[in-house]
Amino acid sequence: MYSEHPVYLEDKLEEIRDSGRLRYRSKSMPTWCPGCGYYSMTEGVTWALNETGVRNEDVVIVSGIGCASRFPFFMKTYGFHTLHGRTLPVATGIKLANDKLTVIVVGGDGDGFAIGGGHIPHVARRNVDITYLLFDNGIYGLTKGQVSPTSAIGFTTPTSPFENHDQPLNPLMMLLSYGASWVGQAYAGQPDHLAEMIRAAIAHRGFSYLHILSPCVTFDKTDLTYHNLDLSVQDLPEDHDQTDRLAAIREATKVDRRSVGLYYVEERPTLSDSLDEIVVRAGGKAAQQAGAG
Amino acid sequence: MTSIHTDVQIGICGSAGDGTIAVGDILKRAMARAGYRVIAFDEYPAEIRGFGKCVARTRITTEPVYSMKSETDILVSLNDAHAIPHVAEVRDFGAVVYDLAPISMVDEGWHISGHLNPGQLPYGLAMREMSEQATGSSRSRNMVALGFIAGLYQLPRPAFIDAIVAKFQTKAAAVTESNVAAFNAGYDNGAGTYRFDKVEVGPPARRTRLQDSTMMTGNAAVVRGCLDAGIETFFGYPITPATSIMERLSVEMPKHGARLLQTEDEISAISATIGAGFAGARAATATSGPGFALMSEMMGLGVMAEVPAVVFVSQRGGPSTGMPTKTEQSDLNIAVFGGHGDARRIVLAPTNVEGCWRCAGRAFEMAEAYQTPVVVLLDLYLSNRYETVAFPKKNPFLRDMCKKPARDKGDATYRRFELTVDGVSPRAIPGEAHGIHTATGLEHNEFGRPNDLSDMHFQMTEKRHEKLNAALKHPDITIYKRFGDSGEVEVGLLAWGSTFGEALEAMLLARDEGIRCAAMKVVMLSPLPVKPIKRFLKDCKEVIVPELNYEGQFANLVSGTLGRSVIRLNRVTGKPMAVAEILDAIRSAAGKRKLRKSVA
Repeated sequence: MYSEHPVYLEDKLEEIRDSGRLRYRSKSMPTWCPGCGYYSMTEGVTWALNETGVRNEDVVIVSGIGCASRFPFFMKTYGFHTLHGRTLPVATGIKLANDKLTVIVVGGDGDGFAIGGGHIPHVARRNVDITYLLFDNGIYGLTKGQVSPTSAIGFTTPTSPFENHDQPLNPLMMLLSYGASWVGQAYAGQPDHLAEMIRAAIAHRGFSYLHILSPCVTFDKTDLTYHNLDLSVQDLPEDHDQTDRLAAIREATKVDRRSVGLYYVEERPTLSDSLDEIVVRAGGKAAQQAGAG
Repeated sequence: MTSIHTDVQIGICGSAGDGTIAVGDILKRAMARAGYRVIAFDEYPAEIRGFGKCVARTRITTEPVYSMKSETDILVSLNDAHAIPHVAEVRDFGAVVYDLAPISMVDEGWHISGHLNPGQLPYGLAMREMSEQATGSSRSRNMVALGFIAGLYQLPRPAFIDAIVAKFQTKAAAVTESNVAAFNAGYDNGAGTYRFDKVEVGPPARRTRLQDSTMMTGNAAVVRGCLDAGIETFFGYPITPATSIMERLSVEMPKHGARLLQTEDEISAISATIGAGFAGARAATATSGPGFALMSEMMGLGVMAEVPAVVFVSQRGGPSTGMPTKTEQSDLNIAVFGGHGDARRIVLAPTNVEGCWRCAGRAFEMAEAYQTPVVVLLDLYLSNRYETVAFPKKNPFLRDMCKKPARDKGDATYRRFELTVDGVSPRAIPGEAHGIHTATGLEHNEFGRPNDLSDMHFQMTEKRHEKLNAALKHPDITIYKRFGDSGEVEVGLLAWGSTFGEALEAMLLARDEGIRCAAMKVVMLSPLPVKPIKRFLKDCKEVIVPELNYEGQFANLVSGTLGRSVIRLNRVTGKPMAVAEILDAIRSAAGKRKLRKSVA
């Protein structure tokens, strides 16, 4: 995007300050490679939090292991940098301990769909009121470029020197069939759309899953590159019905199209709602009614 | 009537489906209702049906006792094939009650009456006929047998009727009626039978304290401890023998506004527990050996990120799936040392049902006060056995033991992992504006930022270890205790967990034989109360460590820490250790070998 007017650093800094995004940034500098798709996560989450106006101390960002896992350190919110693959159950515990907290989980494709794959169906079906931002670069970046569960067939890496033969997972289809109540896709190369999708995901009451296509510029020179994604990413059809789970699954099966946007949304009771209902049935005082964590 | 000390152990043995455990349950509840002290432990197969062997053992006393006895006073057989191997447990002049007309054809040699030893007194009873006459069905043989022994020893009939009514209150009235009818038929028959054994049941103790006591299992006591400590969240996955903790909490926690979730596996159970602990809740999970092995990595995160959590581990026979319904003490190593890295944690191992309650409650305090996962190590024998216990009227467990950061300090100066004198840092929880921080499994500096400099790792490792020493002085919990003779003794028993009860009984019997001896229980296995153990070992010429594992895991811990060799007494039979076996070991160690038959 080119502007007819020159951009001065001073003006830009002022603009950033005024935007309020720095309110949620810590003083630590991100440690990702230059050009990494994860920088758009930092921008998107800070913008989205600023839009919601939630207090810093009421946000908890949970991460696992992988490049995305350092994210909480760059934020001025509570953070828990946990174990490989265990972000979702940890986040479930945090949310059930205190419903007032805004809980955001960040992770990559290895953390979520390899080692942590067993937790995703359960957090989706229970509709835990948390937001899951999954940054899919189709590779293990932090261990220097090995094959991942979303790597394409034929992808050559240090652990797949004779090309990857395993069919990649289709995370969107999985989440839709697991019963997730909010499923969307965004692309790190479209930061404004990404930020808006993050805002909507956080605003959703229930489990929201945002799949983010995010190039690894250091270890992937052939597959999920900005160049390739720029060519294949497009918007969902305008007539897509976001309340139709089957239509959403049909869109998710079109793997060449890589459509971004909101695939599916439904309103239904969250896990905390159900547990409060159990408390009421047992004759106790529900956490939310009692106003305590 | 002269009062006698009652100490009678009744074993009821049958096949799964005979109602063995059910009548055992009525027996112990009736006797507890009547004011006796009760310890009871059932043996049952891993299969739900399948004709496996069930044994319901109940020990009824007027004086305090600490374990089951090795010998049975009264054996009731509902299935001779299963009961015959247990005839050897019946003491001289003890009673054996069996069915004169078994339901199935009995092959030659498989009737229990042909297997009794001289001196064991037989009571053949037409259980099936009596059941059919009283109820029109043979299904109440178990109640006839129970009624018979109740009548034979003149046990209080109303207590039994109350227990039967309570047992079947959710069923149709006809069920209660027919069970009562079968019981009464047996009772009348027993009351009119001439008794020629030497089993005596006196009246219950007239102590008012016992009037307030309740009978419960170790797992039920754990649940009560959790509730008294104000548990807020529980995450668990079903596994024998810990499941009943979650089942009871599922009923009780919602009444207190607390939340329980059955997770998809043990990894998520501990993960959610650590998450809830991080967010400031009193959180717990419960599992057995296989589940705890899965939890090891997350235990390490709890240690590293200094998050409070309580983990109940009820041991069963291992390794792998092992023996799910049999008891063992072979998870001491994983409880104390399990997981990678220098991950010291607090491990409490109660020795009786009352201890289950106290350790459960204190575990929440310790987890919060020292900011660390706490393991409460039980075993199947302790989880499932019943004891009559009396709880104090006032709930002793303290809330809000978390060391908080100063409110006036901004987050710029807040050090979540501040290196303090006692190693415990001020801890903020999400929602508190003055304490924003990120906790991490990476080694970190005082602010919680990743840091792998040599000095920092050294200092932080030291902090995480040394802060736990305060647990050794935690108020109002017995972490070790010596019993028996004071000063120098010939033989000392050093025991932990459920086996301590058997060790204590054996020690008291050995003292009766004139052997100077003492027993010490160790409840806190980590950090280990080294000084008192050292003093105790110094007093003992010989030290025996009885435990239900093959290698001697506690013996290794003690001798490895203190450099003192001990006599290992190890059994892996899936059953509690027999008092007689420990007594033999004491005699042997004291140089006073005697024939085993002479054990009274």
